[in-house]
Amino acid sequence: MNIEESKDFLVSTASLKEVRVFSREVFEKLKLEQDLKDELVLAIAEAAQNIVKHGYKGVDSTTDRMQIKISMKDSELEIGFFDKGKAVVPGNVQHRKLDDIKPGGLGTFFIKQIMDAAVFKKDEKGWVNHLVLTKKIS
Amino acid sequence: MTYKVTEEGNVNTVFLNGEIDMDVTEKAKEVILPLVESGKEVHLNLKDVSYMDSSGISVLIESHQKALENNTKVIVKEVSKSVLKVIMMAKLEQILNLE
Repeated sequence: MNIEESKDFLVSTASLKEVRVFSREVFEKLKLEQDLKDELVLAIAEAAQNIVKHGYKGVDSTTDRMQIKISMKDSELEIGFFDKGKAVVPGNVQHRKLDDIKPGGLGTFFIKQIMDAAVFKKDEKGWVNHLVLTKKIS
Repeated sequence: MTYKVTEEGNVNTVFLNGEIDMDVTEKAKEVILPLVESGKEVHLNLKDVSYMDSSGISVLIESHQKALENNTKVIVKEVSKSVLKVIMMAKLEQILNLE
């Protein structure tokens, strides 16, 4: 089944639940198995959280919105994140070492564990950052 | 997220309910950390936690480390399958006290 759905959200921690609800609804339509759905929802929520936490670091509140686009074509799942926060330097996006036990730094690790690829693109006019997560769904 | 705290002897049990994400971690820490800092043993019952992300995992790590500093312990109990999967993805099942 091919699908393409997109929704925008206020950049806020309060939107994270809404992000999960949207993601679950799309994956429900794709009839993915529950464990896979849970993992994908986690990856999307972590990426959205990174926008709020790092892209808008030091910003108490904003009226900016972020957009999430989920598409599936020929068993290739692609999830796009668009935001107008601080420009991401891809080389600076790193997770902490797992044996360095401390709070924080796991979101990007989870994304990399779950998805096949996470790439920042520079092709979207009107946005500052465009992250694309992809995964082959067998 | 909602919560309930019970006290029995030297053990405080925090029953967390719902989804734990970045939006509620401060609230969770406000409930849990003072109990840990009081030196009591704290049990975190997660049977009704249906979702936890890296922010929630951070709360578990911080609680665990705060307990070590205060010569007490935090035991994470009745972890739901979906949350256990996230804990294991972070390779914390040998670090946290899980029951």
